Amino acid sequence: MITQKNNQELVRKVNMYLDNELTPEAERALLREIQGNPAYMQILSKEKSFREFIKSRVQRKKVSPALIQSIKDKINI
Amino acid sequence: MLTTTNINLEKEKQARIFDQEFYPQADALFSFAYGLTRNEADASDLVQETYLKAFRFIDSYLEGTNAKAWLFRILKNAFINNYRKKSKRPTQVDFEDLVNIHQEEDTALNSYVDLREDVYERIIGDEVTIAISNLSVDYRTVLLLCDIEGFTYEEISKIIDIPIGTVRSRLFRARNLLKKELSAYAQSLGFEDKRK
Repeated sequence: MITQKNNQELVRKVNMYLDNELTPEAERALLREIQGNPAYMQILSKEKSFREFIKSRVQRKKVSPALIQSIKDKINI
Repeated sequence: MLTTTNINLEKEKQARIFDQEFYPQADALFSFAYGLTRNEADASDLVQETYLKAFRFIDSYLEGTNAKAWLFRILKNAFINNYRKKSKRPTQVDFEDLVNIHQEEDTALNSYVDLREDVYERIIGDEVTIAISNLSVDYRTVLLLCDIEGFTYEEISKIIDIPIGTVRSRLFRARNLLKKELSAYAQSLGFEDKRK
């Protein structure tokens, strides 16, 4: 059974794993912990989906060529 | 003594840094500036100011190092100097930094928020942008830097001058708040979570 406290701790580790912030040793330990536990696997899957979803839906802005030209004119190296 | 040759070499170096390292970051800077200001005109001003300051302080930049992080730090500082002062809201104390010890007890923000994956299909891109805009600037900043721009915790820590532990806790809370916001939006569209 996943307690609230264990759940939070796992989510923190999963977040760090998805951010590539775990040491190789901690990463291996986390993956060992997750493997074979469907509830943990689901948390990893959902967190990963959430990241991909946010990244895919946030519209990237493009700077206007006029602004870049204006900056270049002002700097005038 | 500075000779004409030296001055020309210095100018060549500056032009090379701008062309090869700084200008390629313009779209990322503009996206981040827009995420902070939520206004295209202000974002343009902020990007322009960032490049002008980068030119002014170019001697403190080491060619070939992390240009993106260096420029983002300038932009973030310019944003704080210019735009947060304009805010009519009274200055708020960042209790997060002052009373770090209570972080773990704040269950409302630290609890895991579970957002069903089928909710995603009902949410369009604009709503995600709006939901991110609704986050406080501190949460919005770490979320944009990590999840959109791909900076590491250490880079974020340097860009916004906060400890890595604070980066981690702000990110965790920002993502939870975003999930709550999107979940509320999905419910307003009539989506019902039927899990028991």
